[in-house]
Amino acid sequence: MKDTLIGKSVPRIDGPAKVTGEAKYTVDIQIPGMLCAKILRSPLPHAKILSIDTSKALKIPGVKAVITGRDAWDVRHGFVETPRYPADQYVLANDRVRYVGEEVAAVAAVDEATAMRAINAIDVTYEELPAVFEPFEAMQPEAPEIHPVEIPDLIGDFKNIGGQCSRSFGDLDAAFAKAYLVRKDRFDAQLRTHCYLEPQATVAHYDQGGTLHVWTSSMGGFRKRWHLSRTLKMPANRIQVHKAWVGGAFGGKIDLFSHEFCTSLLSIKTGSPVRYVAEREEIFSYYRHSQPLIIDLETAVDKDGLILGQKVRCYDNGGAYRGSSVVMVFLSWGFVVLPYRIPALDYIGYAVYTNNPVRSPQRGHGAPKIRYAVESQLDMIAEELGLDPITIRLRNARKPGEVLPNGDSIKNAGLLECIQQAADKTDFVNKYAKNRSLQMASGNIKRGIGMGVSAYFTGSLIYPNNSAAIIKFNDDGTAHLLTGATDIGQGAETVLAQIAAHELGLQMEDIQVIAADTGTTPVDIGSWISGLTMVTGNAVKKAAEDARRQLIAAGSKLLQAAPEELVLQNKRIFIKGTDTSVPFDKAIALHIEEQQGDPIVGKGSRRGHEKAEIGPSLKNARGAWSDSYAFDAQVAEVEVDIRTGQMKVINALTAHDCGFAINPILVEGQIDGQVSMAVGQAMAEEVIMNKGVTLNPSLLDYKLPTAHEMVESGHLEITTESYEPDQAFITKEVGEGLVSGILVAICNAVANATGEWPKELPIKITIAEEDWR
Amino acid sequence: MGISDMKEAKTKEKSRRIITLSVNKEEREVPVHDNETLLEVLRTKLHLTGTKEGCGTGECGSCTVLLDGQPVLACLMLAIEAQGKKITTIEGIAINGQLSPVQQAFIDHGAVQCGFCTPGMVLSATALLANNTSPTRPEIQKALEGNLCRCTGYNKIVEAIESVRNKA
Ligand code: FES
Ligand code: FES
Repeated sequence: MKDTLIGKSVPRIDGPAKVTGEAKYTVDIQIPGMLCAKILRSPLPHAKILSIDTSKALKIPGVKAVITGRDAWDVRHGFVETPRYPADQYVLANDRVRYVGEEVAAVAAVDEATAMRAINAIDVTYEELPAVFEPFEAMQPEAPEIHPVEIPDLIGDFKNIGGQCSRSFGDLDAAFAKAYLVRKDRFDAQLRTHCYLEPQATVAHYDQGGTLHVWTSSMGGFRKRWHLSRTLKMPANRIQVHKAWVGGAFGGKIDLFSHEFCTSLLSIKTGSPVRYVAEREEIFSYYRHSQPLIIDLETAVDKDGLILGQKVRCYDNGGAYRGSSVVMVFLSWGFVVLPYRIPALDYIGYAVYTNNPVRSPQRGHGAPKIRYAVESQLDMIAEELGLDPITIRLRNARKPGEVLPNGDSIKNAGLLECIQQAADKTDFVNKYAKNRSLQMASGNIKRGIGMGVSAYFTGSLIYPNNSAAIIKFNDDGTAHLLTGATDIGQGAETVLAQIAAHELGLQMEDIQVIAADTGTTPVDIGSWISGLTMVTGNAVKKAAEDARRQLIAAGSKLLQAAPEELVLQNKRIFIKGTDTSVPFDKAIALHIEEQQGDPIVGKGSRRGHEKAEIGPSLKNARGAWSDSYAFDAQVAEVEVDIRTGQMKVINALTAHDCGFAINPILVEGQIDGQVSMAVGQAMAEEVIMNKGVTLNPSLLDYKLPTAHEMVESGHLEITTESYEPDQAFITKEVGEGLVSGILVAICNAVANATGEWPKELPIKITIAEEDWR
Repeated sequence: MGISDMKEAKTKEKSRRIITLSVNKEEREVPVHDNETLLEVLRTKLHLTGTKEGCGTGECGSCTVLLDGQPVLACLMLAIEAQGKKITTIEGIAINGQLSPVQQAFIDHGAVQCGFCTPGMVLSATALLANNTSPTRPEIQKALEGNLCRCTGYNKIVEAIESVRNKA
């Protein structure tokens, strides 16, 4: 009956602001009297700080404040702060620095030039310490100690272990003993980074009433407020993180960054607004990238390619502080067990301290690297057994209703359909066989096709754990949606407005979204653990249902009809199947009159995981992780010139089970972006470092994909869930899980073209010796 | 020498003057230093913050503006060099408050995500279509090669531009 907004590609509501330049990002915030902040960083990878002399800097005219570790109350923070993994990083270095670029002091001055002069005038005396950059070296007993290992019950006696996740189940010895084939391979995935186009930036303004106002380019204001409140020792109600549009994040803007603390403290000290914007070179050299991972993978299969058991060791080059490395080694476990049935497993992941910059999540957090290993090896196994890549995947793929080793159900998983339909649509098996037969044929240009399978979770329990939403009606029947959600480009505000409008019989333009302001909007889980559409979306749905119930109660009086007989449409309340109706404004007026002035305010909320008490254990991967999982199978076709080593991705297909799409065009946008990111990561992108120093700190030298690397990207949606009235809906993640399958599809396609599996990323093609001449 | 050091060295030499810039069809008098980039002047003196700074070193294209209709990188150009030329920023693209066909196509085709590259993309596309009303896909890719986008994979941006061939 009604023209539903759910499932419709409605244009994004922030479109006009963004295409006209009106949208204000943190870098665009200008406040009169605003000071410029700069940060002094360590030039050494590992050193004791013997002294810091700021006196010369403070004498420079125009310098308003200088802060060092002494101003920072000895307080530490961490991406994870638990009894097992207590916070290990100072907001400003205390007596020691552990990577090149670690923040040592910060200044606020009237302009950038003066701030730079002040930075250069600060004298720091260091005593250099030996440093170590690679995980295997850092684990040795004779390695320099970056942090003492203080974690109880670690497996193995290694140095510099920041965290460890271990989990075994099943009889692995028996599995390996009865195996028809065992393969053991090492895979090495490089250091790569987000390349959000908007630089890291923060504006802070401490007002006369003692409230700190913060604009910061981030993935969730409530998470930032939590960190700021702890490090600045200020109550949450005195910190207001305001909304600014965010110019991309991809996992790189969720941790607390030193510059956010420093900008805030400098504003508190000076009483003036302060602005900090990181240079692109600083971001490449000193900010948080994803984590390079070395994976040792042993897999036992029977003669039909059925996985009997796996032994996995992951070594995460975790950087100088824990950052998210301890989560990464947990997630790598998760992305081993999620898509395929593994009857026996022995998994250990090590987060190793090294004298490198701190690591953060990056889109897929763990999945792209471990899936790269597992999916590459599965194709090698298939080849040894004379199977095709589709058959072996279908044999091992999890079926709907299966239960993961931690007890979570994968419910209506559409993985089998994803694999089958992606294969059918691309004529995979035939093309694969043909390309293989041509590997040794003459000609320099080889073609390859490859598949990658992956899966992802949809929200979990990690602070702030939950989302709430408020819908308030206006006198004229239009409404405001208040949500803490941060739109980082994925279209959060649009999707949430769609849900609210759909539930309330309104048009998109009848809903005004007020978002991402910790002072005025309710708490939100944030745009960083892939749960926003499901967690915040259901909170919005409940808020709308609450408002609708009140509206209908008033309407039922006006129309003299039972509430069950009423429906909302076009800002009117109708008696089902008739033309009899009253406008919203009349019902709202009646509600105000009868309910002591209550203008109809709907409230709704949802937890990151509906039933679990706590999130999963980072130590042993036990406990609930998520209550919805997404699955995908992706195919890439490539062309490789074996004479020059040049590679090109010709096309990509993503078959994915996202439950159902609330806004298909936004889903497609997420897929295309991940395909592009994967193309870069597979073929070119790498942050190249030598002894803690970044050698290619620019977008060009990092080789970010340009419009020339655009890949034709096809989408195949497998629908497994639906949106029903008066029920919580189940959507599945689409914002980050889809970078993994396509990444390894490209690797497998290159192997299909050349006969050689890339054991390192980015892929380098071995060029035959004689071809050099 | 880092970028910040270079910036400092640049600003040390203080020579200030008032220049006239023609921005979005308006003559604007603005005090500048000789070494100030057009990007700094647009963003901080004229408060036209639609022009973005993604790198400041000529690599990302987010600072693209039109100079006599041709796309240039405002971060690599001094404000004083722009005197006597017609500058068009993203704020000057809508026609009498109506989105231009390119702007509308970006919205309709899902070509906008975070939006940080969008102003530069819209300007590059506008310049392309002004010179070539029906560009081929490779011509579009060529015209956008200096504009980086990390969100969209470029697909929907190219589709949006293709949809306004012969219309813009
Ligand atoms: S800011 Fe000018 S090219 Fe990046
Ligand atoms: S839309 Fe985010 S960089 Fe292009």
